[in-house]
Amino acid sequence: MTDSKITPETQVALDTDVPKESSTKETGVLSRRTLLKGAVGATAISGFPMIWAQNIKDVTLRQFGTGVSNLNAIADKCKEDLGFNLQLTSLDSDSVTQRAITQPKSYDIADIEYWICKKVFPSGNMQPLDVRKLKNFDKISPLFINGKLTKDSTIAQGTAPHTVGFVESKDSTSFAKAPTDWMTLVPTIYNADTLGIRPDLVGRDITSWADIMDPAFKGKASILNIPAIGIMDAAMICEAMGEITYGDKGNMTKDEINKTMAILTDAKKAGQFRAFWKSFDESVNLMASGEVVIQSMWSPAVAAVRSRGIACKYQPLKEGYRAWGGGLGLAGHLSGLELEAAYEYIDWYLSGWVGAYLNRQGYYSAAPSTSKAFMTDDEWGYWIEGKPAQGAILSPTGDLMEKAGAVRDGGSYWDRMGAVACWNSVMDENRHMIRKWNEFIVS
Amino acid sequence: MKKRSTGFYLLSLFFAVFVLFLYGPTLTIALLSFQGPGGGLTFPMQGVSLYWFEQLFQKQAVGNFGDAIVRSFTLGLSVMVTTVVVSFLAGLAFRKRFAGSSFLFYLTLTSLIIPSILVSLGIGLMFDRMDWESNWYSSGFGAHLTWTLPFGLLIMFAVFNRFNPSYETASADLGASHWQTFKYVLLPLLAPSLIGVGLFGFTLSWDEFARTLMTSGSFNTLPLELFAMTTNVTTPVLYALGTLTTVTSFSLIIITLCILRWTRRSYSNKA
Amino acid sequence: MLINTKNVSSYWQSLPLTLVLMTFLVFPLFVITVVSFWDYNEYSIIPDFIFDNYEYLLTSKVTWLAYVNTFKYAFLAWLLTLLIGFTVAYFLAFHIKTNGMQTLLFLICTIPFLTSNIIRMISWIPLLGRNGLINSGLQSAGLTDAPLEFLLYSDFAIVLAYVHLYTLFMVVPIFNSMMRIDKSLIEAAIDAGAKPYHILRDVVIPLSKSGIIIGSIFVFTLVMGDFVTVKIMGGGIRANIATLIYNEISLLQYPAAAAGAVVLLFTVILILVILFRLVDIRKEL
Repeated sequence: MTDSKITPETQVALDTDVPKESSTKETGVLSRRTLLKGAVGATAISGFPMIWAQNIKDVTLRQFGTGVSNLNAIADKCKEDLGFNLQLTSLDSDSVTQRAITQPKSYDIADIEYWICKKVFPSGNMQPLDVRKLKNFDKISPLFINGKLTKDSTIAQGTAPHTVGFVESKDSTSFAKAPTDWMTLVPTIYNADTLGIRPDLVGRDITSWADIMDPAFKGKASILNIPAIGIMDAAMICEAMGEITYGDKGNMTKDEINKTMAILTDAKKAGQFRAFWKSFDESVNLMASGEVVIQSMWSPAVAAVRSRGIACKYQPLKEGYRAWGGGLGLAGHLSGLELEAAYEYIDWYLSGWVGAYLNRQGYYSAAPSTSKAFMTDDEWGYWIEGKPAQGAILSPTGDLMEKAGAVRDGGSYWDRMGAVACWNSVMDENRHMIRKWNEFIVS
Repeated sequence: MKKRSTGFYLLSLFFAVFVLFLYGPTLTIALLSFQGPGGGLTFPMQGVSLYWFEQLFQKQAVGNFGDAIVRSFTLGLSVMVTTVVVSFLAGLAFRKRFAGSSFLFYLTLTSLIIPSILVSLGIGLMFDRMDWESNWYSSGFGAHLTWTLPFGLLIMFAVFNRFNPSYETASADLGASHWQTFKYVLLPLLAPSLIGVGLFGFTLSWDEFARTLMTSGSFNTLPLELFAMTTNVTTPVLYALGTLTTVTSFSLIIITLCILRWTRRSYSNKA
Repeated sequence: MLINTKNVSSYWQSLPLTLVLMTFLVFPLFVITVVSFWDYNEYSIIPDFIFDNYEYLLTSKVTWLAYVNTFKYAFLAWLLTLLIGFTVAYFLAFHIKTNGMQTLLFLICTIPFLTSNIIRMISWIPLLGRNGLINSGLQSAGLTDAPLEFLLYSDFAIVLAYVHLYTLFMVVPIFNSMMRIDKSLIEAAIDAGAKPYHILRDVVIPLSKSGIIIGSIFVFTLVMGDFVTVKIMGGGIRANIATLIYNEISLLQYPAAAAGAVVLLFTVILILVILFRLVDIRKEL
């Protein structure tokens, strides 16, 4: 898709919600949440009592999640805008899952990915969010509501966010097939991932996921060691190599898992991989130091390498992207004043400032329209619309990221999110997959 | 060994290489920590500045060592005090045989040599099953004690093996009560060793990683924060921290030596 | 030993230690053992009595591979730390004449030990990397054409880090037992015309045996239970048995991890029982 193809209709689909007629800004109050259940009085219920207005300043919310979005800048801005404290702990994806399940009392807000949610929510440690209490619910991208980026998009394979985004009722732990008033996670952040390369060192065009297995890159390739994500990269690679045809990459059979891991194990034994990484900064270090020239990578990691003056490209591939999404969920033990503060915080998260901050890092905000107001036209053009930068593009901390004229790898939001082949997944054969993955790591 | 043989020179060279091996990496990161603002984690150096040391005291994008340092320090101090008291008492107990003494001794040894990940997993699971909340000051504290107490006890053994009980007998002969003997004879004689146990306990706790991993609850101690940072920091600020901690431990040792020398001197003056 | 106090005092004096160890060692180990027979799914562990965890553990090729790796690391680390530690201790004990100098050199060896292990490990990365100091040094000296890849993210790097981290655990006990060797014994041997090699073999090594064994126990147990060094220096592509347990923990497969831990515990205890037969640790302190 090129710039000219961004029709007003796709723009609306991005800005607002699915039933187009009910989702313009003017009728926002009467939007999908009211349509869903016909509960016209919904907004009245969500009116916050005023008693806590003062002592909410004493509330401290403990949030944990991956380093991707647990940024101190967000806590500072939250204090400034809302008055209460946000305490952040950042961990790698596996530790996040572990803590969400085993230490439910140690956090108030979980900042987790949707595939983690699929594991955590059934444990009953979290409570769903009442969407009627969120003023910005309508602004959430339809991708997280019905899975469709635009009206005629097809839904990619894997654990797509909308499939684990809702539960049946307040006390339910089973995921709803269609949107309800009870959200498991309020989406905040997502992206389309592909391979990162060092264009100065690979020495040829990279066009396919299969290129990571090229013997020319022996000892210079890397993939990530987070099973739920790594298996999807592995599947993209094996499919691109023409070795395996999957029924559904997002829900493989035992046999498909075995074949996939066998191909990777052989490559590992042959010395194809230099290292495996677990958190995105490790991938930055591997790439920046030249240990690795081609690897699975996350977009801001590419930006981080580039901001050091090292050539690094987020290479779009013909097979498409592997996508992921994350959001904020409430711990089951939250109640009273703290619960109200958490709602207020999550609503604020969607209101634009954070979204703009995340957009500027190369992620996407779950409520695109609100974040637009906090970005310059040039920033919006570069990061979202895929237009050449008019002036210098700065990171949220003010460092130079791109000079004028640069175009984002992979193009616009619609080009990138529209070419998603699969989402990070938790499969039915998860236990088998993890055993096989462990064997791969040890072998 | 009357005159210096070739053996001596060869061994001196070996020792020098060993010291270089010990300090080489530390010096490398010390060098890298003085890079300019554009620096990365590897060579080549990008300029020279104190930028990363300043950054160390600023707020990080992710994580926070300030709080982690305070937590580790508080934990270290409580572990230190507990270790001194508990291992001193146990050391006294072990001067005599008592029922179960060798069981307790082997249990203490087990605590020392058991792979740390087992302690971590065990305590983590126990707190989970008991529905207790893990915290660095509860489960983490206990996990640290399983590591410091064996060392404390072993040091107390070493001390009491070399301790001449005739001081105590003499004191008792002179009509001192147990408490007086303890307070005026035993304690002053053992004070330097107890300081040693304390410092050792503090150091062990300060750097404990594996046993804290699953027992620290919501907040990281310093080594956990550092471990998290090896995976999510991409700047030499990590090296600046390393350099700073090395300098700090260096000064701590010097100070301890001075204190020990001073206590010994003042003790011998009194005598 | 004191005779004029009743042994009763021993019981209350040892009570705090007993309580701490019961709560934070014995009971947790009991929990691990129980849980190792439980079942599990993605998000919870389910009380049960099944042998699946052990069955998978003991029949999986991966477990054996991981044990082979672990013993390989333990053996190499033990051998190298012993050789280096013994030589350093020997130098300090027999070649350094004054007490002051001994203390000073000893402290020089100790100081790096006080820096965080994790920082000491990552300090190697800029030295060993593909574009690290050693590789660029070798290349500019014309000794190698291409960077040596095996320096980092390899078994070599892992063992190197172990030696770096744990040699001190060998030096201290060996030095300690060497200092107790009566110097006149050695003088006598020299006067009797013994060669230095014979003195080493017949006097020094037998008399510092206990130090060697204590040091070996330390190094062996530290390496057996380590996973951080393997992760950082192995770049995530190498694994030993504790890495396997750690992976299972981080993927919430607690019963599987617990079964792995129980087997590891038995392995370590078995080897230590043998080592402890060789030395009475209480007398050697």
